[in-house]
Amino acid sequence: MKEQQFYRVSGLEDGRRLESRILEERLQKAVADGHRRLLVEAYGHHGIGGRLWKSGDEPVHVRIEGPPGQRVGSMGFPNTRIEIMGPASDDTGWLNAGADIVVHGNAANGTANAMAQGKIYVAGNIGARGMTMTKHNPRFDPPELWVLGSVGDYFAEFMAGGIAVICGHNPQNPENILGYRPCVGMVGGKIYFRGPHKGYSQADAKLIAISDADWDWLINNLRIFLETVRCPDLYSRLTRREEWQLLTARSPHEKLVQPRRSMNVFNREVWDKELGRGGLLGDLLDPTQGPVPVITTGHLRRFVPVWENREYKAPCEASCPTGIPVHERWRLVREGRIDEAVDLALAYTPFPATVCGYLCPNLCMQGCTRKVSNMAPPDVSRLGKASLTADLPPFPPITGKGVAVIGGGPAGISIAWQLRRLGHEAVIYDTERTLGGKLSFLIPKTRIPQEVLNAELERVRKVIPHVYVEQRPGAQEIEQMKLDYDFIVIAVGAQKPRVLPIPGKERLVPALSFLRQSKVDQAEVGKRVVIIGAGNVGCDAATEAYRLGAEEITLIDVQQPLSFGKEREAAEAVGARFRWPCFSKAVTEEGLELTTGEVIPADTVIISIGDMPDLDFLPGSVTVERGFIKVNDMYQTTDPQIFAIGDAVKLGLLTDAIGAGRKAARAISDILADKIPSQGGTQEMIDYTRIKLEYFDPRLERFEDVAACALQCSSCGTCRDCGVCINVCPQAAISRRENGNGTFEMVADPDKCIGCGFCAAACPCGVWNLVENEPLE
Amino acid sequence: MFANGFIGPDTLSVKDLPWQIHWDKDKCTLCGRCTAVCPVHAIELGVHRKRLVQTPPVGELARKHDLANVFQVFYGIRQKTDPAHACVGCAMCSLVCPNGSIIPCRSDEADKLKFHINRGGYPRRRGGRRNVPEQPPGGILDRIKFTRISMLTDPALDAGRHEFELRTLLGRVLPPEESLRLYREQGWVPPVREIYPLIIGSMSFGALSPAMWEGLQMGVAYLNEELGIPVRICTGEGGCPPRLLRSRFLKYVILQIASGYFGWDEIIHALPEMKEDPCAVEIKYGQGAKPGDGGLLMWYKVNKLIAAIRGVPTGVSLPSPPTHQTKYSIEEAVAKMIQSMYMAWGFRVPVYPKISGTSTALAVLNNLTRNPYAAGLAIDGEDGGTGAAYNVSMDHMGHPIASNIRDCYLNLVKVGQQNEIPLFAGGGVGKYGNLAANAAALIMLGASGVQIGKYMMQAAAGCVGSESDRCNICNIGLCPKGITAQDPRLYRRLDPEKVAERVVDVFLAFDTELKKIVAPLGRSTSLPIGMSDALAINDRSAAERLQIKYVV
Repeated sequence: MKEQQFYRVSGLEDGRRLESRILEERLQKAVADGHRRLLVEAYGHHGIGGRLWKSGDEPVHVRIEGPPGQRVGSMGFPNTRIEIMGPASDDTGWLNAGADIVVHGNAANGTANAMAQGKIYVAGNIGARGMTMTKHNPRFDPPELWVLGSVGDYFAEFMAGGIAVICGHNPQNPENILGYRPCVGMVGGKIYFRGPHKGYSQADAKLIAISDADWDWLINNLRIFLETVRCPDLYSRLTRREEWQLLTARSPHEKLVQPRRSMNVFNREVWDKELGRGGLLGDLLDPTQGPVPVITTGHLRRFVPVWENREYKAPCEASCPTGIPVHERWRLVREGRIDEAVDLALAYTPFPATVCGYLCPNLCMQGCTRKVSNMAPPDVSRLGKASLTADLPPFPPITGKGVAVIGGGPAGISIAWQLRRLGHEAVIYDTERTLGGKLSFLIPKTRIPQEVLNAELERVRKVIPHVYVEQRPGAQEIEQMKLDYDFIVIAVGAQKPRVLPIPGKERLVPALSFLRQSKVDQAEVGKRVVIIGAGNVGCDAATEAYRLGAEEITLIDVQQPLSFGKEREAAEAVGARFRWPCFSKAVTEEGLELTTGEVIPADTVIISIGDMPDLDFLPGSVTVERGFIKVNDMYQTTDPQIFAIGDAVKLGLLTDAIGAGRKAARAISDILADKIPSQGGTQEMIDYTRIKLEYFDPRLERFEDVAACALQCSSCGTCRDCGVCINVCPQAAISRRENGNGTFEMVADPDKCIGCGFCAAACPCGVWNLVENEPLE
Repeated sequence: MFANGFIGPDTLSVKDLPWQIHWDKDKCTLCGRCTAVCPVHAIELGVHRKRLVQTPPVGELARKHDLANVFQVFYGIRQKTDPAHACVGCAMCSLVCPNGSIIPCRSDEADKLKFHINRGGYPRRRGGRRNVPEQPPGGILDRIKFTRISMLTDPALDAGRHEFELRTLLGRVLPPEESLRLYREQGWVPPVREIYPLIIGSMSFGALSPAMWEGLQMGVAYLNEELGIPVRICTGEGGCPPRLLRSRFLKYVILQIASGYFGWDEIIHALPEMKEDPCAVEIKYGQGAKPGDGGLLMWYKVNKLIAAIRGVPTGVSLPSPPTHQTKYSIEEAVAKMIQSMYMAWGFRVPVYPKISGTSTALAVLNNLTRNPYAAGLAIDGEDGGTGAAYNVSMDHMGHPIASNIRDCYLNLVKVGQQNEIPLFAGGGVGKYGNLAANAAALIMLGASGVQIGKYMMQAAAGCVGSESDRCNICNIGLCPKGITAQDPRLYRRLDPEKVAERVVDVFLAFDTELKKIVAPLGRSTSLPIGMSDALAINDRSAAERLQIKYVV
């Protein structure tokens, strides 16, 4: 240590200001030379007093007289003490790393910017952006900035550590000693201050209570500060604890909390207050409505399941022209009520054995849902055959209304049977000796055992005692009948064969005549038979011809033959040949000549190209169109008192005729009861896709017995009480409810159901459906 | 389809559909939530037959009945292939699935469904946005860069620390000499609003659900009253709830009048009771998503609430004609409509037209420059959204917004009125998520502000729609998020309060991002409207067309 005197370093030499670089070199040299007390005459020089490490641990005291430039004490070292005898310029203590800096006046902008260690004592006020970007390195004590007066704007921006003490004594702005927008981006450190302020960044800083330890630190160090800046007398004035406040940085966690009103509070306290309860639409919507979850129950479900038991017709029932609910019969079988299943048919047809069991192509089976997936339908003909022994259902007493039925074939018998079931008396008139029409006289014996037919006809006779045979009513009789009966039903069939206008047509044998003769074994055909018209009647003729000794049987048609089913199979079985297209030119002794010139040799040529009804007897009030009686949907002719059914209306199957009889009977009964005639129900057939055949074994081709058939019936549209829905419901919402009268229903609990539609998708029978819920306002 | 395979011309397999449901049998718990939530019933419980063929080693095959077929039934989630129930990819099933066992995936095959969604001869209609063939890196707006970074050349600003006053003007700004003259003469000066440059564009009450509409309005009110951000929202056509008309919040609202004039008699009746003037009136002449097409609110969306607000009976379809019916020229349309709307509020409320992006925009603009009442011009580009439109209109009609707004601005510059008639740009702003960048690009191309619609639906309410044809069923009232549905069962899924919170989030985040863009440009107190020297793009033709720098 050379001397206790100040070593003077002037910023002026020969009347000229030295460059800051020269002054710095001289200061460094002075310290290197061992000077420890330096007096600097400053003339705005930059960065005076920093970087004086060359003294090692020995303290260096730099006193600055005259105006220093910017960044006094920048990069200051812990050994350095700098005293500015007047005001300081910008950035005093910039990047200070340990120097103590005393300013005996005001300090300008940027004071303590980026300071990391050391202390800055300012005897006056400081400018803008003081204590910004300051640090606290845990290896060292935190940096300190002491300001006797006030600070300028943007104080403590990005302050990351250190302690600032703002005493508020003689501040520049007595109303705000912290300046405009202090503490923006502050993340660390403390700010003690005394005096009024105009706010600080709430997001970054917060006021905290001054603890006793803080207070002790403050007043102890305040004494040192005041002594240093030569104002010890202020001590008592500046140590009133209640005047001091302490700002500290919010932790990152605390910053997440936005200092603003929650939307919920805004909604309640601002929004609803201005608009009224319920907000924007509280006057138009129920204000108690709140948000709903995505998965809902009860009335908030978008879709709800509906148990549509028996609301749609099963395809078998819908396919059956007679309208027999076949699935219902299988259900009865499944329930062990096989007798009821058998008896049920008599409500629909007087010929369950003859027709369902033998003669019908069984449209119910063709329409069966199982066919959609190429699975074998349950064999209904077994049930049909069993119906031979069915018990007659009870018939109601006769009401006194009478209906004349002209024609005792399948159609006439059907309507008479149905009318009787409805309590009306039907009287049948027929031209033949016995009842049965086509069944009795035309259909080959090979196709229907006579004992079956006879048994069913016997049953008919029991039900319908009033039958006038060998009657052929003419127009006059019809007029009389109109007076004698409430209604007349024409069911005369189609008995007039169509023939071809070709040479030799007189040689043609009409199929109906042939079948009629063959049935009583009175036909002769020879060895070679040609049949014109290869429909089912033609097939019957072929089979019968074979039975009567024919060996070469040819069926010709102008188009691909329309014959099908048992008739076709039987004809093919006897070796009949089918040829088409063939156009007949003439019938000769040799046989049938075609337009091609070919002659098909034949002993007999049978013509089977259709038959027409013989309607000459009808009164003029009944309109005939193209040879058939014109009727409306309920088989009423243009004479409202006269109905017409069967082949006289339109050529069809036996089941068509039987079904027409049933529908017409219902219409007549309704009219007699002064009701609007029902059109046979408006029920639609269930959509095939609703039935789930996946539950069934697709490899089953044959069924051992009716019980096996019944188990494989998919019970389309009618609940089979299998419990799949109860089991598949994820919410356990479905239960089976007994209705007390022997019936049951499946119910979905709206409080549990979420409207997933699993029940509808899983239901084997297609009973459950998923429908849109009632609209909500 | 039946098992034995009947097909029709429009029978599709799952493979033909644009969205395919991937379902994991092992994870599924068959809880029914997916089928309950699916808006279009694209999925159902499937009943499946499982066949186990049991064959013992042939050497041990003793009796014939050792061979067996065992049939079992198992259940699963099955996708329907009927076009009416084709999956729309909304993924609500995934949202509600507790086990993560179901998700719709986009087909790797070209979509065959699009050839079949015209059953009955009705072309496809839908809601949503323009479908673009594949996900590009972004639109033209996304490719514009801000290349003028000040640093040392201007006082660069700190977005986080500096204060910004990012406001724009809505209203006719008179030239200074004209202003002074009127001031001296105490003449009428057009009303001008100082508003935030990001405006929630017109989405009608009806197109949006009540919950969504209220949420947006509440968010806007909060931004204004709690945060001091003067955000404005346009009603769209379809009226305005009576309570809002009579509240102070009306000042944050731009009322729209369109060719259907729905709800306007209710607005007129509310005039004597209004506490505040609305911010402005927007006259809608066109919509970017479906230019030249009118609006249509289908009857099933017109419930009691909508009917009350629109002033119509319930359950009737509400068509808006493509054009205002009593106007036959630009001059007449502009003069007549603007004058009428000014009169409603005593010439205190700015009135401006909104048109769809079009190559005829300059003709409209030039007319407005000569009309001292015109308060601005809003242009809605082709990428705008809609609640319902023909697919062909959405995908193929309209004009991109960037060049349209640029042409208009440069034309204003040419006639020296670029500071007088503010232009507002909309249509696909932020469609790829870059809201602030897109908005800043449009502003620097010349827009005084931007309007957003779809962005709010996505950001504030979780709309799942996309440009790759996801969901997009706004038109049928089945919005699974409740954003566009009028069925309380759907719209009550949406909590207006939560929507409002998201609106606030969106604007605060946007504000920060916008500052991040304009601060390095040295702008803090005025929007850099038309500051195109800050823009560049790495596409020479685009640069040339937009008259901005080309950079690589």
